[in-house]
Amino acid sequence: MSFSERMLKIDRRIIFLMIGLCTLLPLLYPVGLPIKISSEVRGVYDHIESLPERSVFLLSIDFDPASKPELYPQAIALLRHAFRKHLRVVTMTLWVSGTGMADQLVTQVAKEMGKEYGTDYAFLGWSPGGQAVIINMGQDLYSAFPSDYSGKSTKDLPVLDGVRSLKDVGYMVSLGAGRPGVEEWYVFGKDKYKFELGGGCTGVMAPGLYPLLRSGQINGLIGGLRGAAEYENLIGQKGKAVAGMDAQSATHLAIIALVIMCNLFYFSLRQQRG
Amino acid sequence: MTALPFESIIGAWVATGLTLLIFSFLYKDNPLFKLAEHLYVGVSVGYVIVKTYDTVIIHLVVKPIVENGEIALLIPVAIGMLMLTRYVPKAAWMSRYAFAFIVGMGAGLAIPRTVSSFILKQVEDTIRPLLSMAGSDGVTFSMNLLNPASHLNAIIILLGVSSVLFYFFFSIEHSGVGKAVARTGILFLMISFGAGFGYTVMARMSLLIGRLTDLIEFSDASYGRPTVWLSLLTVGALFLLARRGREQPPDIH
Repeated sequence: MSFSERMLKIDRRIIFLMIGLCTLLPLLYPVGLPIKISSEVRGVYDHIESLPERSVFLLSIDFDPASKPELYPQAIALLRHAFRKHLRVVTMTLWVSGTGMADQLVTQVAKEMGKEYGTDYAFLGWSPGGQAVIINMGQDLYSAFPSDYSGKSTKDLPVLDGVRSLKDVGYMVSLGAGRPGVEEWYVFGKDKYKFELGGGCTGVMAPGLYPLLRSGQINGLIGGLRGAAEYENLIGQKGKAVAGMDAQSATHLAIIALVIMCNLFYFSLRQQRG
Repeated sequence: MTALPFESIIGAWVATGLTLLIFSFLYKDNPLFKLAEHLYVGVSVGYVIVKTYDTVIIHLVVKPIVENGEIALLIPVAIGMLMLTRYVPKAAWMSRYAFAFIVGMGAGLAIPRTVSSFILKQVEDTIRPLLSMAGSDGVTFSMNLLNPASHLNAIIILLGVSSVLFYFFFSIEHSGVGKAVARTGILFLMISFGAGFGYTVMARMSLLIGRLTDLIEFSDASYGRPTVWLSLLTVGALFLLARRGREQPPDIH
């Protein structure tokens, strides 16, 4: 058996181990590679920056713990930014499986920023229907969410003063890991009720959302852990996403090297066999 | 240093244990992985059922009817209940009304909005940048490849959209000029698949980074070092399972 043949039949566990080490070592010994801010992430940041104090910022946490590593840091960075700008933060989820996680996330960041529930922020929880909930919110927010996550009447929440529907929202960001997510918020929300919309998504979904970005259907897009790291850099509060960027770069390099080596061995074997 | 709450410590041990059990699949399929897999499915389904019951049945149906007298809610409840008639063969036909309502409403809501958002808007965006070349001060052309809004990129996008659409047009034989256009379409598709795969790799690596970050955090003494102890336990269990597997060869009958 030639060297190329042996390399092409290498035990896949060796590759797993290599990728594991390429991820683990930079996490233990970070190098701090520079992170360039992309225009799509800046789009979301700039819009939040431009909002006057006490504007209503709606954040839909449309993911569950399965996508936590990518979207949780995005949500934390966005919430920190919105709270720092003294916006009225209204949060919700269209994913029933993400309800508990979303509540924990919002409560944790609000506590860290010294914000008061009901006055500065609220978590409306989950309401069934997906796209129908968005349409319902566009007509009457209180009909879609008669009570918040803790059971309090939404009409009595000072954070929602003057807000009747999606038309009264200053800016809306959906952090989506699938459906319903960013696309539904555009199709059934922004396109119909005309509010400004930004998006955040997992890396897998990002290529599918770029057409919406280019056409101006969304004004910004935070894609995957990389997008979260860019946002953390923009707000000057580095967190888990920035910490993971060295590991991300190292694994990408390892995968590129593996792809090149695999091709070289494949062509060398083909040449040997004539 | 303040001590961590008891639930955080328990959470760390459970999360670490389940992560390691799932990771054990990378060595080979084994009962520890299956245990974690079944737990994941069971807990997820249980959580969704409880949350749905509490939000829908209690907060959106029972409370408004009983406390606020919103009798109109009985109409959607009745339509929803028709779904359950599928379990009674003689009355199963009644469920069709509920399905008809859902399909009709879903299609009515989705079709116009989807056509407007994903077809008309995207066609408009493909053509509009080309129209902007002819401005009031004559014809202009920007060549910057790095600017998504440049005219050069607009032409590349138009070429891509047209050639890919042509590739999927099977009524004409792809020969001569048609073959060249279809090949261009394939080229654009390959680039698109490559970009998609690149992003998928990035996403999967992010998930691994997330789990490893937690494992590093939970190796701290404040949690009782669950990463260290449970790693040793998992490796030990895998070793014992492998030995037992060698001693008792699988029954081939």
